[in-house]
Amino acid sequence: MSLSPRTRPATGMIVAGLFVVVVLLALALAVAVGIDVAGALRAFASGSAASFFPPDAATSQGDEIRSLYDIVFIFAAVIFIAVEGLIIWTVVRYRRKPGDDDLPPQTHGNNLAEILWTVIPTVIVAYLFFISWQTLNSVDAVSEQPEMQVRATAGQFQWTFDYLADDGETIEYTQFLPTGENGGLFAPVGVPILMMLESPDVNHAFYVPRFLFKRDVIPGQTNQFEFTINESEAGQTMRGQCAELCGIGHRAMIFDVHALTQADFATWYDEVRASAQPSGGPPASLPPNATIIDIAAQNIQFDQRELEVPASQAFGINFVNQDNGIPHDVAISQDGSLKFNGDDLPTVGEISYQIGPLEPGTYDFLCTIHPTTMTGTLTVK
Amino acid sequence: MATTALHPAATGYRSGLYEWVTTTDHKKIGILYLLNSFFFFLLAGVLALGVRAELAIPGLQLVTDENLYNQLFTMHGTAMVFLFIIPILAGFGNYVVPLQIGAPDMAFPRINALSFWMLPLGGLLLFSGFLVGGAATAGWTSYPPLSEDRPLASTGPGQDLWITALILIGTSSILGGINFLVTIFKMRAPGLTLFRMPILVWTVLVTSVLVVMATPVITSALIMLFIDRNYGGAFFDPSRGGDPVLYQNIFWFYSHPAVYVMVLPAMGMISEILPVFSRKPLFGYKAFVFATAAIGALGFSVWAHHMFTTGSVYLPFFSLMTFLIAVPTGVKMFNWIFTMWRGKLTLATPLLFALGFLSMFLIGGINGAFSASVPVDFALHDTYWVVAHLHYVLFGGSVFGVFAGIYYWFPKMTGRMLGEGLGKFQFVLMFIGFNLTFFPMHMLGLSGMPRRIADYDAAAGWTDLNVAATIGGFLIAASMIPFLWNVFVSLRGGKVAGDDPWEANTLEWATTSPPPPYNFDRLPEIRSERPLFDLRHAKATPAATPPGPDRTQQLPPGH
Repeated sequence: MSLSPRTRPATGMIVAGLFVVVVLLALALAVAVGIDVAGALRAFASGSAASFFPPDAATSQGDEIRSLYDIVFIFAAVIFIAVEGLIIWTVVRYRRKPGDDDLPPQTHGNNLAEILWTVIPTVIVAYLFFISWQTLNSVDAVSEQPEMQVRATAGQFQWTFDYLADDGETIEYTQFLPTGENGGLFAPVGVPILMMLESPDVNHAFYVPRFLFKRDVIPGQTNQFEFTINESEAGQTMRGQCAELCGIGHRAMIFDVHALTQADFATWYDEVRASAQPSGGPPASLPPNATIIDIAAQNIQFDQRELEVPASQAFGINFVNQDNGIPHDVAISQDGSLKFNGDDLPTVGEISYQIGPLEPGTYDFLCTIHPTTMTGTLTVK
Repeated sequence: MATTALHPAATGYRSGLYEWVTTTDHKKIGILYLLNSFFFFLLAGVLALGVRAELAIPGLQLVTDENLYNQLFTMHGTAMVFLFIIPILAGFGNYVVPLQIGAPDMAFPRINALSFWMLPLGGLLLFSGFLVGGAATAGWTSYPPLSEDRPLASTGPGQDLWITALILIGTSSILGGINFLVTIFKMRAPGLTLFRMPILVWTVLVTSVLVVMATPVITSALIMLFIDRNYGGAFFDPSRGGDPVLYQNIFWFYSHPAVYVMVLPAMGMISEILPVFSRKPLFGYKAFVFATAAIGALGFSVWAHHMFTTGSVYLPFFSLMTFLIAVPTGVKMFNWIFTMWRGKLTLATPLLFALGFLSMFLIGGINGAFSASVPVDFALHDTYWVVAHLHYVLFGGSVFGVFAGIYYWFPKMTGRMLGEGLGKFQFVLMFIGFNLTFFPMHMLGLSGMPRRIADYDAAAGWTDLNVAATIGGFLIAASMIPFLWNVFVSLRGGKVAGDDPWEANTLEWATTSPPPPYNFDRLPEIRSERPLFDLRHAKATPAATPPGPDRTQQLPPGH
């Protein structure tokens, strides 16, 4: 051996000493750059986010996943402590003593041991697979007749939620504000809700940490899952976020989930649907002298930011989509409620919208698929 | 040993740069692999520091351009996987495998040089994205439609350069894999039967099978993506009838086996180091070989566990297979531990790094089992938990293995020992930095922090853990300083190593350090997987090595 015998006994002490030095250096560095070490440690101990467990689940499906997580965690912790302990004990116990040049027994293996540590882990993983499968069948189940159906559309970089009629197609109400007191997904507790996921552009993922669940939103296919928010969550607001990289605005693609009692939800739903009704209703055809506005969408931008139309008169919008493969539409809103929502143009094309008379005032016009990047002001006077 | 007849000075070699650029010697090519890979390791590490610095506290401070942020983590992942871990392990294979099987060189020395030189070219192409208006931004996985040419996605030449570079690097891998397979099957020294091969050779063998079978598959996906982007194809574009999930299937059909490409040779290196520093043979040699083969085989049936949340894969099958692959991995873990059991451990730097591999890879195996459980994966997928998991496997496992290998074989490659003090200092710094960086990420993931975000809300409660991870990241970077200094000092005047400084077992230690061209002028008799051990202890335990039939020492062929 190239290591001379007299350096060997010092090895353990050198390592331990270096460890202490490095920890102290790291702490000193942290203090020097102004990080609140004690506060961080306290937060670590009391668990701001520092926990080995996911947050308390807000859905019945999440509760099942949490129970499964706890079982997997117990297995993981026991195996980790046993094996890591074995490694450390072996290293400490079987260090070579200085000057000891005798060979240890040259054991080549033991078939019984190999069989044991093949069979026992196989049994453990088979069990974990089995309970995972059971939980999967339960959390992935979808009712034949869901009580409520919502379609989430994830576009760059915004979530919109369509509340659907029982047929699963007719849109009763569209929630296009993703966050805030009036924005996000409003959902009644205790009701199984079927969530359908669609994307007009790239992959996204619907993720609510407190659901302990996520599902990808993939263009060209409709993914779905069902969830039932626990009764105890009524009045709570939870944060949801896109979990699949979707471009430069990925981190900002956030939404809120508001859990309401069933009575509160019914009240909210009636209110928003009433206020979303267009005031006059769309006319069958425009009068010959009606104002017609031309708008085009290119590179996920409208070519205009300011529009103006006369009050109390029906008017038209000729909308041209120049983005190949990217859907756009034009909608008009005021204070968060949609006054008009035009049909989507799924790719390059042209469409004429007819909009009923509007009260004088300032409105927003937007693409409901890209409301953060495609928006402008519509003045009615 | 007497090797003067083959000394470079005596055979008219040109010296210096020309010799290194034109060499077909597997040892020089192996060292070129290591140097090139290490350069990209440092470069990709700097990109990761950019990511960590930005994430330390809420708000966009350092990388205010989110497009640049996406470039940083995309290029970090791509370069670490394709330009560092895979090629550095191929570099060790290149250097060590012919020596360990008593061969004079690889089977196809010129193809070997070609495979190497594709790598710096690929790296140059990949990173040239930064010079032409932005590198690739769609993550190292580059899922379409985000990686298709469309607004708010990956426009510009960066993504095309990414595709081209990966095709080139993949071709290099395929050539290298074929070369290893032919070398291992056709060029072993007399007496070196398959079940006497060092475990590293076995792992390189299985790795090469994976590479040759899987790499052409991802090449197809890359070509399709390139056609989509540049020639109006619609393979993955759903608005024209394509299927974005198809790409994910093809990508992971390669990239999951690639995880084993990235860790099996490191396991092989550990399996060389643990017996030597325990002074015992590897416990359960054959079980270990079968476990390696089982991992290779099962590795092809687990790819869709990266896609549990897509709603497009049959979940129970891939869940079961993913759980099952833990079994052969566990077998290896116990074989390693019981190799040390009742041994006499010398805690030199190679062993320390090998122990780092064992204890950290253990965590990477266990936290992987969480994701095998599909419902739990629904919670953890695409969060920082996954970032923690993959780094415990690829850093805690492979990178610690790589450093174990560097400290172990550096004396063979250069004839000089690396310093033990600096080596231990580097280990401690890296070990602490690594855990400080990646352990908190488990908790971040559990509490809901998604991957690949440039910023987060202060109210999310993620700040403390991110501060810890960032400090850890810089500690890892700091641990490279004692390493580079150690290499510098050793090359200038390190302790002379001699042929066999570690009292090792395998054939590479039977020649000079560094070995001459064509490696050996004579080989010891090979009667077990530890020919040098047999040679050293032949007098002490004559009964252990009874003389076999006529297996005389010979010079390798072609020489």
